Amino acid sequence: MPKRERSLQSLPPDAGPTAEPTADDLLALVARGDEAAFERLYDVVSGAVFGLIRRVLRDQAQSEEVFQEVMLEVWRTATRFDPGRGSANTWIMTMTHRRAVDRVRSAQAATHREEHVARLDPARPFDEVSEQVSGRLEQRQVRRCLSFLTGLQRESVLLAYYQGYSYPEVASLLGIPLGTVKTRMRDGLIRLRDCMGVTG
Amino acid sequence: MRTTSADLHTLTGAYAVNALTDTERAAFETHLLRCESCATEVAELTATATRLGLAVEFAPPPQLRARVLAAAAETRQLSPHTPRLPRARGWGRAGGLLAAACLVAVAFVTVQRTGSDDDRLAQLSSQYGRFSDLLSTPDARLVTATGAGGATGTAVVSPSRDELLFLSRDLPALPGDRVYQLWLIDAHGPRGAGVLASPTAPHVTDGVSGAQKAALTVEPAGGSQDPTSDPVVVIALT
Ligand SMILES: [Zn+2]
Repeated sequence: MPKRERSLQSLPPDAGPTAEPTADDLLALVARGDEAAFERLYDVVSGAVFGLIRRVLRDQAQSEEVFQEVMLEVWRTATRFDPGRGSANTWIMTMTHRRAVDRVRSAQAATHREEHVARLDPARPFDEVSEQVSGRLEQRQVRRCLSFLTGLQRESVLLAYYQGYSYPEVASLLGIPLGTVKTRMRDGLIRLRDCMGVTG
Repeated sequence: MRTTSADLHTLTGAYAVNALTDTERAAFETHLLRCESCATEVAELTATATRLGLAVEFAPPPQLRARVLAAAAETRQLSPHTPRLPRARGWGRAGGLLAAACLVAVAFVTVQRTGSDDDRLAQLSSQYGRFSDLLSTPDARLVTATGAGGATGTAVVSPSRDELLFLSRDLPALPGDRVYQLWLIDAHGPRGAGVLASPTAPHVTDGVSGAQKAALTVEPAGGSQDPTSDPVVVIALT
């Protein structure tokens, strides 16, 4: 498991007994009902969790609501986390993204969303993303690797991930066939994976 | 013949960024149980997508911290169990359980395609518009069975599409930590065919060739690798 997700894993190279535990360490303790470990896990992951929800939902009140649901879900289902399948970060962020997107696609949002899709300028989100991803040191790699994707690959991946659009919505936004969107998403992520050296 | 399956292999990316529709997501998750190369790729691409998530970090309002911690203190954690792993199908110990349970009294009503079938398919097609492709396939066949508890399961099977649409009626509601899971049973035993999004949600699965029965069981949230309870309803497909 590569320890590149530094925002959540602040283990120093000379990690001694007093070193900061990783999200994986903490989640293992949380699975045993350790509330103090959950408190520390909260401090380690809450920024990433809230940031992603806010990015997808935009709405502050809804973001706060979903954020609390997700954090509670992390507590409740930590017992089911299987380290053999991936890192704690990936498990938590996957759950986060799923919840945020579910909210976006929920019935009451549907009508509003169709209008939104219809008038969204496809060029806009990527500028915002570039802006947002440009600041910190650890974000530079993501930004750099994104620059190696073709335009359609990058747009397909980012519209789905940061905006929560389904691939048919992405296809209609970009005016390309459904099958093309699927392959662009896959090709784009594979290119990102290789650039960032992610092994799963 | 497995064109649907060939298409499925290209869905790893869309799945990793959560861009599939509910129906496709369910079908793809079923596929993941049988396709190790997709399961591996999904793990890698999901970890990759996570990096995109970590890049937009933003601190939540500080007052939420105490609220979340207090809520956790009052929330019971799920009991641990072996999580469902995306791996090639396994005919485990519980295969026997389900095979035996299939002999339990359930009423089978096997229906050949008839005139009234066509009416029923047309009616379903208007009711479930997003499945109209499958429902209007010329070789689609409709099979219905009622379980001992009174719940009814209907399977629409299309051999040419290698797909099965499962519809139910009168399934009892379940507690939050339980789900309905569909199984396809062939000569080798049962294999998972996905978890119903809700007791009333239609469910599509592929890879149905060779399946003799479809069965529905109650499983812990997330589904099981092998059935762990007696089926609520069993539908004979052949
Ligand atoms: Zn596959």
